[in-house]
Amino acid sequence: MNSKRLTTVTALCFLLPNFLGFCTFTLGPVVFSLGASFTNWNLMKTVPLRWVGFANYVKLVHEPKFWLYFVNTAYLMLGMPIAIAGSLFLAVLLSQKLRGVIVYRTLFYLPSFTAGVALLILWKALYNPSYGPINTLLGWFFDGVGLSGAELPEWLTSTKNLLALGYERVEIVANQLGLGARDAIIIMGIWTAVGGGNMLLYLAGISNIPQDLYEAADIDGASVWAKFRHVTWPQLAPTTFFIVIMSFIGGLQGGFEQARVMTLGGPAGTTTTLSYYIYIKAFEEFQIGYASSIAWVLFILVFSVTMLNWRFGSRYVNY
Amino acid sequence: MSTIRTPRGFGNWWVRKGRLNASHALLIALACTTLLPFTWMVLASFKPLNEVQQLNPIPSRWQQENYTEVLNSKDISFKKYYFNSIFVAGWVTLLCCLTSSMAGYAFARIRWPGRDHVFKLYLGTMMIPGVVMMIPNYTLMVKLHLLDSYVGLIVPAAFTAFGTFLLRQFMLTIPSSLDEAATMDGASHWRIYWDVILPLARPGLIVLAIFTFMGNYGSFFWPLILIKSEHLRTLPIGMLYFDTMYGKQTNLIMAASVMNIVPLIIVFIILQKYLVAGIQLGAVKG
Amino acid sequence: MKYIFLGAFGVMALLSGVAWLWQLDGVEDGRTELVWISDDNPVRREQVELFNKLYPQYRLRLDPLNAGMEKTIVQCLAGVGPDLFACYFGFQRMAFVRSGVALNVADAWAERGMDLDAVWPCTLPLFVHDGRPYGHPGNAYAPAVWYNKTLFEEAGIPYPTPDWTWDDLIAIGKQLTIRGERGRPRQLGLIMARADWPSVFLAQWGGRMYTPEGTRCILDSPEAIAGLQFCLDLMHKHHLMPNLHEEATIATAGGWGGEVGLSPITLFGAGRAAMAIGGRWWLCALRAEDYGGLRLGAVTLPHGLYDRLFGWGRATLVNANAKNLEGALCFLEYLHGPDWNLLINRQADSLGPVMRYHYGEYEEAFLYNPEHPEEDYNAVWRAALEQAEPMEVSPYVNGVTVDRILMREETDKVWSDLKTAEEALRDATRIINEAIVEQLRRDPVLRKRYYEDLARGARPAWDREEDAP
Repeated sequence: MNSKRLTTVTALCFLLPNFLGFCTFTLGPVVFSLGASFTNWNLMKTVPLRWVGFANYVKLVHEPKFWLYFVNTAYLMLGMPIAIAGSLFLAVLLSQKLRGVIVYRTLFYLPSFTAGVALLILWKALYNPSYGPINTLLGWFFDGVGLSGAELPEWLTSTKNLLALGYERVEIVANQLGLGARDAIIIMGIWTAVGGGNMLLYLAGISNIPQDLYEAADIDGASVWAKFRHVTWPQLAPTTFFIVIMSFIGGLQGGFEQARVMTLGGPAGTTTTLSYYIYIKAFEEFQIGYASSIAWVLFILVFSVTMLNWRFGSRYVNY
Repeated sequence: MSTIRTPRGFGNWWVRKGRLNASHALLIALACTTLLPFTWMVLASFKPLNEVQQLNPIPSRWQQENYTEVLNSKDISFKKYYFNSIFVAGWVTLLCCLTSSMAGYAFARIRWPGRDHVFKLYLGTMMIPGVVMMIPNYTLMVKLHLLDSYVGLIVPAAFTAFGTFLLRQFMLTIPSSLDEAATMDGASHWRIYWDVILPLARPGLIVLAIFTFMGNYGSFFWPLILIKSEHLRTLPIGMLYFDTMYGKQTNLIMAASVMNIVPLIIVFIILQKYLVAGIQLGAVKG
Repeated sequence: MKYIFLGAFGVMALLSGVAWLWQLDGVEDGRTELVWISDDNPVRREQVELFNKLYPQYRLRLDPLNAGMEKTIVQCLAGVGPDLFACYFGFQRMAFVRSGVALNVADAWAERGMDLDAVWPCTLPLFVHDGRPYGHPGNAYAPAVWYNKTLFEEAGIPYPTPDWTWDDLIAIGKQLTIRGERGRPRQLGLIMARADWPSVFLAQWGGRMYTPEGTRCILDSPEAIAGLQFCLDLMHKHHLMPNLHEEATIATAGGWGGEVGLSPITLFGAGRAAMAIGGRWWLCALRAEDYGGLRLGAVTLPHGLYDRLFGWGRATLVNANAKNLEGALCFLEYLHGPDWNLLINRQADSLGPVMRYHYGEYEEAFLYNPEHPEEDYNAVWRAALEQAEPMEVSPYVNGVTVDRILMREETDKVWSDLKTAEEALRDATRIINEAIVEQLRRDPVLRKRYYEDLARGARPAWDREEDAP
């Protein structure tokens, strides 16, 4: 056997276990789900299998629920800027020469690391409208400032939200203004995300900023805020860009665990995000064809955001 | 002469100290806010049921029986769930580390036709949302009658593109002079892999192992759809069903949550260094 | 490095051994195992034990955690299904049969001398498809009114009599509804499981879900709207029944944990409601010691425009790919026999599925249970069942999505006061009829049968000719 052939065979031997698994469980399924999205496949076999072309896609575009769930997904991403700003703030605080930075960092990272079903169940108990501590505290606060008659928000059982969005169609409805399930999830999300991986990334980014930039600013007599605005923020631009893109991608695919554990899709479908919708269609109604088409629409959305990263990311990275 | 001058010397130190104290105060306040839900959880887990909604910080009675009641519950066997989670995560980590490092070596160290194209394929699939692949994987398990089995839980999760990607990047940073020296000594690729590259790639392997294990330990979607029998449940699914069955007894639920979270906290405190390094590694290279 | 991997592999192999051994923890006693998927009503344990005693060659095991029609179907198709599974609604039976998961047991019935006329008619849609049985009913249920004798006596109101009217009920209920500060209810006049509204209000006002042949959904008929509206009036006009938020507030702390949306049974058992529309199976929960001191009475529902009710029940169907077919068929035999029926009647898990065990030589055992002498109202439940009609399902509807999700979704909006009864029912009917047309477009065999029905005078699901498939 000649040397080149031997090398290729060796490479294949190394590659094969992982590649086989990759094809069976990653690559194959991607192609398969694309094909499935063009059929009416129902895993329960109550309907004969048929090729339907783009009918699933057309159906989902015309389905008012799809747009409602899309709006839900976008709404849940509204907490993103606050979470990112919070992470940046914490990172700036922690990057000073303080004692006990490690302790603080551990404490702040805790919600992010322990995130999971247990935390969701904890927050579900916290948000209980009649007996949860959040409403109890709010009740005391209202009594204290003399607003005893104020209605406490119903959190996870309410369809209200801060943008007064309706739940039947995508519209603004006045009596839907308030604090409801989606806002509850956003607040919980901010608590979990601030101090998480983003803060660590910012910490690393800040530690990479050359000190002489700060010293130059000092010589010019810059205040703390000016130093932040003109040195820290621009230097962190690549990190910020990366974080924003990753948060977008995560946000588009997210909301599943919250919906499944805390609200089962929410009062009147208000906490159903796209991924929860796919779950319902695929694994509770077993309409594989339709669910695959929704999944591919989600993929196209994520792909577009990633494309943004590729096109504009290099511009920032080479700053 | 500039109009505003930051004070130097003693004055500078004073201002900085003031700022540091303010920062400390702020950080302490923020840390307390972050810890508040955890504190409530621990306190509630020790209270009798009717005290849970009162906000008394000290329970009238420290009810450890809550914990024993949760552990001895006949319908929900937490010990089995812990075992299952660790068992499945262990196998997934082992398989993933083994196959990913071998594949990473093939991409990083061996020249073969089509290598870069195949790697681009790996990269491409990394940006696909997981849910796109869950649906066909599930139907595959249905057809293969692997629903509700350990094999079904372990095998599909063990082959991710991320592992190969991470280890390839890591291996690329290892200088190839070591390879050449070994080749001149007559070592085959297999020997080089085991004796030269792998020991040097240990930090990368550790990061991958930790991330894979933690990721799989908390994995929710796949076990949710795959498992139907009670004895195969993993911890997240067990918690979900526990909440469904005992939801009204908030103190028990909080006890279960505490038992869920405490191992994670312990692991985190021990492995902090690697985790922080890993996140920054993954982000910078990605 | 090699040793680390080998070591890890060894550890995992060891754990695999542990896992395998742990799985074998079940008792090995030479009996064939039968798996039965059903709900986890506490009385099931005794039901399972009795079967194991009567049929010593089998060991029946209850699996309550995988209940759910879709999951059961997929698990059966994946080869990990049970031998027997529960079916609660007609549309579930349709889905089970159409997906090929349920087994036609007409021959088994004939062999064992079982007859479809022997069971309560309201259970027939649950297990009969195209005239052939696919299982056997486990119990039969029709609603009547429970009342709390203590609360009646405290208010000085005489107990309701069987010939009372809805006006009587409203008057009594208003007297028994006590509100506290801010108008929040402390005691309710009447509660019921809202999802059960068709069995009472649709029936008594003369409504139906579908036309007799099933060709069109007629939930938007004036009768149906009137029925649902009456139910809503009980909530919003007479303030007898709580709306969603009131129901959540009325749950007390100290024992209930304050979960939102408690079931009517727990509320009634806690003495928070004077009357409740429910079934005899409530006793399975209410007999528990937590409710000691509860004194109950029962009376048939007041007469509406018509004296009819829709009844339901629970049937057990057989998996076509059951691992133990013989055992599953023995279970069906068990359900038809006196042991099961008398047990059900004694446990108050509604009423036994076979009619004759409530009359003649068995009547006294049914009416009077020596373990619970205070339960003097069993005749009421039998009377309700005698009035109960089966709630049919249209064969032209792919019931999976339509009935459950659409019915519940639209009526949920009504309970939350987001739509009127008329709007909700019209929307639901429109969607269901559109689904029928969609189904006909896809399935030519079904279409042929549909047009045959139309030729015999049935109403089509469309109003304009151009919508026809």
